[in-house]
Amino acid sequence: MANITKKVSWSSRGDESGGGERTPLLNGSEEVRYTRQVGLCVCVFQSLDYDNSENQLFLEEERRMSFLGFKCLEISRWVICGLIGFLTGLIACCIDIAVENLAGVKYYVVKQNIEKFTEVGGLSISLILWAVLNSAFVMVGAVIVAFFEPGAAGSGIPQIKCYLNGVKIPRVVRLKTLVVKVCGVICSVAGGLAVGKEGPMIHSGAVVAAGVSQGRSTSLKKDFKIFEYFRRDTEKRDFVSAGAAAGVSAAFGAPVGGVLFSLEEGASFWNQMLTWRIFFASMISTFTLNFFLSIYNNKPGDLSSPGLINFGRFESDSVAYNLYEIPLFIVMGAAGGLLGALFNILNYWLTIFRIRYVHRPCLQVMEAMLVAAVTATVSFAMIYFSNDCQPLGPDQSEDYPLQLFCADGEYNSMATAFFNTPERSVRSLFHNPPGSYNPLTLSLFTLTYFFLACWTYGLTVSAGVFIPSLLIGAAWGRLFGILLAAITPNGSVWAVPGKYALMGAAAQLGGIVRMTLSLTVITTVYTVLIIGNGLYDIHIKLQSVPFLHLEAPATSHWLTAREVMGAPVTCFNRIEKVGTIVDVLSNTSTNHNGFPVVVPVLGKICGLILRSQLIVLLKHKVFVELARSRLTQRKLQLKDFRDAYPRFPPIQSIHVSQDERECMMDLTEFMNPTPYTVPQETSLPRVFKLFRALGLRHLVVVDSENRVVGLVTRKDLARYHLGKHGLEEMQLAQT
Amino acid sequence: MYIFQVTALLIALLYYGNAQTSTVAVNPTILGSELSADGLKQLAAIVAPQSPVFHPSRGSYFSLNLLSAFPEDLEVSDYCVELLAIFGQRYSTYVNCLVSAARPVKVCQNCYGSYDNLMDIYTNISSDQMGPGNVSCRDSLLRSDRLMLVFLLYNNMEDIWTGSECNSCVSLGLHSLTNDTLYFMATLNQSLRCFEKFQQGNHSALCKECKATYRGLNELYSRMEKNRTLCIDIEDSMNMTRRLWSKNFNCSFPRAENVPVIAVSSFMLFLPIIFYLSSFLHSEQKKRKLIHPKRAKSNTSLVNIQDRLS
Repeated sequence: MANITKKVSWSSRGDESGGGERTPLLNGSEEVRYTRQVGLCVCVFQSLDYDNSENQLFLEEERRMSFLGFKCLEISRWVICGLIGFLTGLIACCIDIAVENLAGVKYYVVKQNIEKFTEVGGLSISLILWAVLNSAFVMVGAVIVAFFEPGAAGSGIPQIKCYLNGVKIPRVVRLKTLVVKVCGVICSVAGGLAVGKEGPMIHSGAVVAAGVSQGRSTSLKKDFKIFEYFRRDTEKRDFVSAGAAAGVSAAFGAPVGGVLFSLEEGASFWNQMLTWRIFFASMISTFTLNFFLSIYNNKPGDLSSPGLINFGRFESDSVAYNLYEIPLFIVMGAAGGLLGALFNILNYWLTIFRIRYVHRPCLQVMEAMLVAAVTATVSFAMIYFSNDCQPLGPDQSEDYPLQLFCADGEYNSMATAFFNTPERSVRSLFHNPPGSYNPLTLSLFTLTYFFLACWTYGLTVSAGVFIPSLLIGAAWGRLFGILLAAITPNGSVWAVPGKYALMGAAAQLGGIVRMTLSLTVITTVYTVLIIGNGLYDIHIKLQSVPFLHLEAPATSHWLTAREVMGAPVTCFNRIEKVGTIVDVLSNTSTNHNGFPVVVPVLGKICGLILRSQLIVLLKHKVFVELARSRLTQRKLQLKDFRDAYPRFPPIQSIHVSQDERECMMDLTEFMNPTPYTVPQETSLPRVFKLFRALGLRHLVVVDSENRVVGLVTRKDLARYHLGKHGLEEMQLAQT
Repeated sequence: MYIFQVTALLIALLYYGNAQTSTVAVNPTILGSELSADGLKQLAAIVAPQSPVFHPSRGSYFSLNLLSAFPEDLEVSDYCVELLAIFGQRYSTYVNCLVSAARPVKVCQNCYGSYDNLMDIYTNISSDQMGPGNVSCRDSLLRSDRLMLVFLLYNNMEDIWTGSECNSCVSLGLHSLTNDTLYFMATLNQSLRCFEKFQQGNHSALCKECKATYRGLNELYSRMEKNRTLCIDIEDSMNMTRRLWSKNFNCSFPRAENVPVIAVSSFMLFLPIIFYLSSFLHSEQKKRKLIHPKRAKSNTSLVNIQDRLS
């Protein structure tokens, strides 16, 4: 075994870690190696049990449940979806109001200050004030994320993608994560970072769903004793996808977009009823947001702000387009793709650097603060040195017009782009009449904002990348429109800059997050939604998540289950000694989660039992001897398993005395009697398909006599990927 | 452009009005059954070349021949024709006033009286009260055809009035300017007098001397802006004054502190470089412990993998 050359999957320092980093193997079993590469499968991630364990307890419960009971379950599913939508919409509303007010106060203070110092001199003080205010907001946001809940960093979309894919990222759907996420996103947007508040809404929706559907909060130690039936991974996943859809819908005011998002992420377990439930949740969420925002804006009943993003209404003829414009749009699409690829590459290098060197929480907080300060500085410098003055419009479309050195009655046009929340900047790029920006201003703005956004994404703050990419796209799209109008005869008639800004925004967003099928929906309702392979996949990869992509890597048919599987397998007998079980579970080096149950001597498979089930059994001391002595003992029910879900106690917390170690445990009743098995010769893509479509966690490999020879898990599959040198294998690593 | 259109419409109206009045006097025997298709063509040929040119007397004469009289009950009553004539007069007065007050904009202060008159007569026309002889002119004048010209004309003027927001400057009954407006005009004049006084010679003296009055004017203007008591007259005069101040006299703030701003900015930009360098040099890298996965010992497959990889 020592002579296997494992190709380092991908790492900018692949050659180095391939050579000097490896210690020679002395003993195949005791190998401990250290590496600094980031492309690994990390063992901290567990899989979710999407496959239902059809043990005897389950069958019994199903038999007991009446027809009415099933109807009630169905109704409560709908009720839960409604609740999810409502709460998600409410959260979106809170975020919106908080951001609006905090940013309003900040910009008001800075504006007053700038106005004062324009006259008497000392504008550098305003610059410092702006930078300090930004850093202060961002510091709060970064501290709560870095120190309390690192899982809330970023937009959360990669995490939700992983969850729906079947990877359990620790603490991703906890209440604490939700609180930190919401506060964090408010702080980072108010802090003037080049981020948006839309991405985190998807994560928030998912957390709400995971919480509501369980009818209790383990963090608050409160159990409402409702929805107990839904306390397992399979049901929870359905609700989480509904929650994610509700989040998308609240963020962009696009219920259909929300459904599409969930469809693309979780298409392997789809059915029509689920579609309608998810659509229901999405509708409720956008309606809730809309309704409460209309009350907040003192226009109750005027339902015209369906999403967090509100691009305003386009005049119908200003976005009308002609056949001859389609090639232009195609060119813009290509440009968006190229810029997006550039963005992703830069961000990829930056993220690798961050993973390697900026991993201590205090460093992360400092980095975020520095980015905030630099953002303010760059914006200020841009505004200060800009000579582009535009007359103030009659409708006061600028929220915080800065005059600075412009003539009276005019405002600095660079300030509309920089001295504003990103969302409002997008809106003014879309809607301001032609001539509001001159090309130089726009190109400078695009350039700086591109690098700022690229630098910002991946900081330890919770924030999304939608708005920045829209903003970059809108800026260069508008620039394109202006130039087009200038160089073509009578171009000013059809080359409406706002239209090209919209097209540019769509192209740029598509380029960065590689949006696929939803583009159509989006352009119709002027909302945007992510379905991405681009940036999010990069970040999933950098977090070393064993993520199963749509297909097995190409050219992997020659690999069979025998090579892929883990072997030998730790098996249990149908009636197993408690001591053995405790020892196996306590072994920290293996940390297995599923154990095939076999018929004692023959070794033939007869079931599969999970660690969580064993722990519950040990906790309730379901031993054969005890059952004999105490006939009145209450029989273990499925409810006992559900009560422990999802935080099963660790094995260390369960005390088993010496006497009890000698007892026996009968697993027949609790194991899944019909686990999926494959023969040894099954090819990797075939195994992969089973995993992907059924959401499997363990797949037992058996020989011709039905004896267990190995076990395939998600990590065994996710290791393989197609690299430069053909099929490559990633290393496994701990944390 | 707009004004031209309006004038053209007005002319058309007068023409139309003349035609209407003359129809009453038309002799029905001339224009009756004998008016054949050929005759119509002939008439059209005579009228056509002349119609673009405004010849009131001849125009009405020819149009006499064009229009046959309608039966009595469909006719526009004399009373209404009279109202229409007054409307036309007042309309032209108002339009003339507007045109003469177009630049610099003084439409509110100069023309509120004529607008008031126009509004009166229109209210008269459009009211559903019966005039003498139990006729209501509303239906016959305002809505008996597709074009609804009288309505259209008045509507245009109303749009101009609302667009210029004159209501904020003119008191409620359209009898006088509001006190705010008068006060603003007084303050504006003060500033302009000051400009005039210092216009000769160095502009920096002007900037210094007139700053107080100009600032007072600016503040008054922003107060009025907040209270929404601005109309186009005030806005325009303020715009002109601001342009004078900023562009002609060059009194806006100079960009004087480049050095401190550049210094502070470059310091700020320098910080992240220091940060990244120091964390690159001092921070220890995160290392991960590799696990060796348990694998079936099958040599063939390992050779396979190796072949693939090398």
